Amino acid sequence: MKDRLADALRASRADFTEIRIERTWSSSVSFRGKRLESATASEDQGGFVRAADKGCGWGIAAFTSIDQLPAMVHRARELSRAVRLDEPIRLAEVAPSQAEAVLDLDGDVRGIPLADKRRLLEAYNGEMLAVPGVVDTQAVYRDEVTEYWFGNSEGTLLYELRPEITLSGQAIARRNGTIEKGLESIGLRKGWNSAQHHAAGFRTVAERAVALLDAPTVTGGTYPVVLDNELAGVFIHEAFGHLSEADFVYENAQAREMMTLGRRFGRPVLSVGDNGAAQGLRGTLPFDDEGTPTQDTPLIKDGILVGRLHSRETAAALGERPTGNARAISFRHAPIVRMTNTYIANGQGTVQDLIKDITLGVYACGAFGGQTLLENFSFTAAYGRMIRDGALAELVKDVVLAGSLFQTLDRIERIAGDFQWNQMGGGCGKGGQFPLAVTEGAPHVRIEAALVGGDVPA
Amino acid sequence: MIERLIAAIRSRADGGDAVWRQSEHTTVGFESGRLKACGVTEETGINLRVVKGGKVGVAGTTAPDVDDLLSRALASAELGESVDLVFPAAAPLPQVPTHAANAAGASLERLIAIGAELVSRLARPGCQINVAIEREIAATRVLGSGGADAQYGATGVAVNVDLARFAGDDVLFLSDQYQGTDLPAPEDLDALVRTIADRYDRALTVVQPPDGTLPVVFTPQGLSAILLPVRQALSGKVVLQGISPLGAKLGEAVFDAAFSLTDDPLLPHRPASRPVDDEGTPSHRLPLVERGVVRAFIYDLETAARAGTKSTGHGSRGTFGKPVVEYSNVVVGKAEPGAGSPVLGGGLVRGVQDGLVIDELIGVGQGNVIGGAFSHPVALAFRIERGEITGRVKDAAVAGNVYDLLKRIGGFGTDGRWLGTRWSPSLLLEGVSVARR
Repeated sequence: MKDRLADALRASRADFTEIRIERTWSSSVSFRGKRLESATASEDQGGFVRAADKGCGWGIAAFTSIDQLPAMVHRARELSRAVRLDEPIRLAEVAPSQAEAVLDLDGDVRGIPLADKRRLLEAYNGEMLAVPGVVDTQAVYRDEVTEYWFGNSEGTLLYELRPEITLSGQAIARRNGTIEKGLESIGLRKGWNSAQHHAAGFRTVAERAVALLDAPTVTGGTYPVVLDNELAGVFIHEAFGHLSEADFVYENAQAREMMTLGRRFGRPVLSVGDNGAAQGLRGTLPFDDEGTPTQDTPLIKDGILVGRLHSRETAAALGERPTGNARAISFRHAPIVRMTNTYIANGQGTVQDLIKDITLGVYACGAFGGQTLLENFSFTAAYGRMIRDGALAELVKDVVLAGSLFQTLDRIERIAGDFQWNQMGGGCGKGGQFPLAVTEGAPHVRIEAALVGGDVPA
Repeated sequence: MIERLIAAIRSRADGGDAVWRQSEHTTVGFESGRLKACGVTEETGINLRVVKGGKVGVAGTTAPDVDDLLSRALASAELGESVDLVFPAAAPLPQVPTHAANAAGASLERLIAIGAELVSRLARPGCQINVAIEREIAATRVLGSGGADAQYGATGVAVNVDLARFAGDDVLFLSDQYQGTDLPAPEDLDALVRTIADRYDRALTVVQPPDGTLPVVFTPQGLSAILLPVRQALSGKVVLQGISPLGAKLGEAVFDAAFSLTDDPLLPHRPASRPVDDEGTPSHRLPLVERGVVRAFIYDLETAARAGTKSTGHGSRGTFGKPVVEYSNVVVGKAEPGAGSPVLGGGLVRGVQDGLVIDELIGVGQGNVIGGAFSHPVALAFRIERGEITGRVKDAAVAGNVYDLLKRIGGFGTDGRWLGTRWSPSLLLEGVSVARR
């Protein structure tokens, strides 16, 4: 395959050409309640060619018939020539790499019978079903291994073997008209071994769903809020990470002004970064989908904006260095600027230290989801606890945090020293590409004041 | 190839069905007002389902190896649960136009020209305009061991426009879309431009949000949060799971007597229209809610078998995974394509003393959707004072329960339109909690 790719690159008449070929074997098992919904294995394969002629824009061809590769290289160039540009596309320099990177498969899932995968998931699902009050469950196991080839006309030629495994569970508890849910989600760039020993997590979320039936909805209002590690991670991804993606600013002077390096984004306690090279995480890969090596990129240092995430194109446009953040979910898509493993750096002290001087506040835990719309964000905690007189008090539900990014980042006043990476599944969506494997990490974080939706007082 | 697959099903399994789909997807993208990229995606895939010994297995592939596909489907069936699937027999299919020769034959230059026209008409000082034109040409074949054998061609065109304006830390983001089987007509482009221009002009003034329990006009875009719980609750799969709030309400008046919801796969030239679903069940129009009364849930073959009923023709399949229950076109009220006036709020604003127009909310689909409760910050909303829109509000959140709100609808707007696969006018809903922050 490497030879076919190199031949196709040599045959290309475009000024710049890049090619990705992917072959993915995946299997998935899902349960709904006691019933197996499906157990299936799939094979997906295809290629992606991106070409640019001088004075022209991108021409892109994606295809499932790999035999068509030479024709598709030709087609990509033709499409490029249809896009006349006044300002040519420039790509920041990246030293060509030739590498074979086989990530730790940690128990190659391709050798495990589907029946074993079913048994594993059935056991986890059984943990949730065994909790009294749980009326329905959903459990999904999914794994894949992708053989990946990348090459470009500058001499980069890569081969990678990329594993991925995700487990998720949803427990629904119901009493009279009230329905509550609990979610467990595990996602790793690893294999079969890492899917073992997760029973306790499934049981915990099911028990919480039942407990939420008796919990009151949080009273809406503005509170001091302490985010747990998981939610703090989701927060930094949603509320800040997307704005640090340089494709958001590189062609827009006003947006660039908003995101000027050196601008104060928070208090000196706050440091944020994105690290695609961190060991063994879901967003980790040796190279991005433009063949740029991944790295640890500081974004906010001591409250000051110091960096952003780049593709080769956005880096060239802004005169900055590529960061290895050009990613595509599959051969069907072009690489765009994305996060990898995004984090809030460690602070000091314990979660107790953050809570002990709050008279009335909310401890928001876990994440059901989050969304940013430019400077506004909203995210939904899995559950919350009220903080009363410096101690955790009753369980509350429907904890939705909303606000403006700028205000909220600036209100992060204390950060604990208990950093932890999330190991969740799911993924990030942008530009029609979902789900992209990413993760986040954070310590406990205290926001001086944040709007908590819920029962909005009339 | 697919015929060979059906023959193989007959010899190695007890029954089954398959969907073969080939598509060519062309994209033209303008970024910040400049044509930046053109792309083509060609894809061929097969999704196969087999029944062996009463157990069901599924497999999918984009690779050409049919024998491997069948082996994987049979391995899946070994683990599968027993379901008494009844594959549809051969049947005459309804006529529905799904293919527009004009769209299929459009050159790249033609698609680029549409984008260039929109870019120039939408340009505003200090604003970033993105336009994406997409055109899909697809061929679908559905074959089953019950005798069903259908094939049809389809085209789809989508035009997405968005405008972003940054002023200090204020970000204004407006977007709209056209979708159809054919290229947009001049009046479709006019409507896109008017929608953006109208909102833009009104958004330049920022006013204080109101506070309290208020009447709110949800535009066709803004209605997503309100309709999502109802769509979920009317899915036969959710009913079967016992978690649908509407599961036991067939024949009961649950909503305002003026509220109707219909699934209609036979509307001409809509992208979700098709003569059969992906399991070979012929399409037909299905009233889900009629004048406030719950009339039907949607089913595919498997959920229908489990519920002891018949498929309503709502099986949808991708290349990978098992068929899922999915709506086609959903119409709120009565579809009168082309009849809508694009005035923001659809004429409902003048009856409101103090309230909001909601055009977009943040975080729709998060949280506990099925129960009907929602709580979202606004992404794009306008204040109504004494029957007039007075400006854009930021920093506000709305909350309520859709089952309470849809019991009494204050009015239907005259701005009915398609938004993707949904047709609706604006709705005036009373008693929405509005909070300022």
